[in-house]
Amino acid sequence: MVAFCSPKSRNMVNAIKGLFISCDVPMAQFIVNLNASMPASDKFILHMLDPTHMFVQPHVAEMIRGKISEFRDQNSYEKPT
Amino acid sequence: MPQVMVVARNFMDMVAALPAAKLDMLYDSAFICEAVLRSLPPLAKKYALQMLYVSAPVAAAAMEEWVLDEYAAKHRVAIDRLLQLRVFVEVRDRRKEVSYKMNQKFQGNMQKYLVDGGSLPREPIPSSVTARLPTLAELESFALEQWECFLLQLINSSQVERGTSFSSSMMRTFQRGLLSSRDGEAPRLTENGFQFLLMETNAQLWYIMREYISSAEERGVDPTELISFLLELSFHTLGEAYSLNTLTDVQRNAIRDLAELGLVKLQQGRKDSWFIPTKLATNLSASLSDSSSNKEGFVVVETNFRMYAYSTSRLHCEILRLFSRVEYQLPNLIVGSITKESLYGAFENGITAEQIISFLQQNAHPRVADKIPAVPENVTDQIRLWETDRNRVDMTLSHLYEDFPSKDMFDQCCDYARDHGCLLWEDAKKMRLIVRVEFHSEMREFLRRLR
Repeated sequence: MVAFCSPKSRNMVNAIKGLFISCDVPMAQFIVNLNASMPASDKFILHMLDPTHMFVQPHVAEMIRGKISEFRDQNSYEKPT
Repeated sequence: MPQVMVVARNFMDMVAALPAAKLDMLYDSAFICEAVLRSLPPLAKKYALQMLYVSAPVAAAAMEEWVLDEYAAKHRVAIDRLLQLRVFVEVRDRRKEVSYKMNQKFQGNMQKYLVDGGSLPREPIPSSVTARLPTLAELESFALEQWECFLLQLINSSQVERGTSFSSSMMRTFQRGLLSSRDGEAPRLTENGFQFLLMETNAQLWYIMREYISSAEERGVDPTELISFLLELSFHTLGEAYSLNTLTDVQRNAIRDLAELGLVKLQQGRKDSWFIPTKLATNLSASLSDSSSNKEGFVVVETNFRMYAYSTSRLHCEILRLFSRVEYQLPNLIVGSITKESLYGAFENGITAEQIISFLQQNAHPRVADKIPAVPENVTDQIRLWETDRNRVDMTLSHLYEDFPSKDMFDQCCDYARDHGCLLWEDAKKMRLIVRVEFHSEMREFLRRLR
């Protein structure tokens, strides 16, 4: 959190650093579900903006990509060599 | 290490990039003048020939009248090329008007060439000395084997397998952009390395040559001398033997490196040693005019995603393995299938769907090459779809702004961010907006001014 002025000032605007995510509805649901399955301290969604956009913690990009990859692999079958 | 762009580029672009003094030095050789003339676009060729016996500068305005108005763009391209290569030199007179004059060295050499006729860079060794030389077919086979061996070394290096050892200067050329080597780790292909393997042979050759020349100064070699020799090499006759004694030390070292690539074959006689240019070397001049050699394709892709490669080449098998699942490897046939899983492996290595599709199309077997399309549309479409599936989630590092004191202030901030192309999201009801992370300091400054 970055505060531009003291709390007393009426001109306070808050700025929050994070990741802006755009995706399709099913992927958004996947990410929401992933967030819900986390313990409280690890939840990462800061704002659910609409069904296809969200604002999340800045450090979770790789984790989300990893989970998506894992999910995709679970839905794949590779014939043994 | 600087990132190396894997771009198939004309050798002449490299020549054009030389400083003026070195370029002028290059034009001491009539062969290089001829090679440069051959490489020019058609209109530039015409201008060069037209100016061959004109020693005075010709005004740029006068030259513009040589073409119809609708060809002004081509005229501009031609002139630019001639200036880049310093075939033409810009001259400004007292009234500061631009004129073009032909490079005196270039002009002199080409005039002599026209009057006296061409000659070979060096005479071949008589057949009484060399006895039996390889046939053209043997030479082509050698060149292909050597080149493939070189490329297999690239793949083997990343698979920690044993392969043929190459000289350090060649491996260094590879390592510059295609292999990454961290301390204690085996070298592995970079994204550029994977992309390189899918490039067409001539493009690969030029990439290697360009890296070889670029790294010359690190080896204490003058790049100009290398460029000069490579251009000369393309004027040697395919299959003829040329003595190593006629070469300078730099040229002799270059010849040994080129032999490893399959551009020349080295042979030893009782007293003499000689080199024999292969098709790869003489193709250097073909590439100079941007026409690539037409190699026969070997891949058939079916609508059921099965792939048949009619090839005896182990290299082809390894390349196909980059993006497909190889099921059978028979003596002259490779059977595989294009699967989602195999493609994902390729995508993770930085190979794109377009590169894979392009490779399959360029290497289509003659039986299917003339079909439209050569690779079934359901296959190419699916490859693209699988790639986009990988990019369903778009993430952008950003800042979210909220708790605006007034609607007016919020609107001004939105407009400011939008005008700079950094607005990612806005919600007028809740008065929230999201901007790209790099825009944060400017936004903060803007807010400060609004207060």
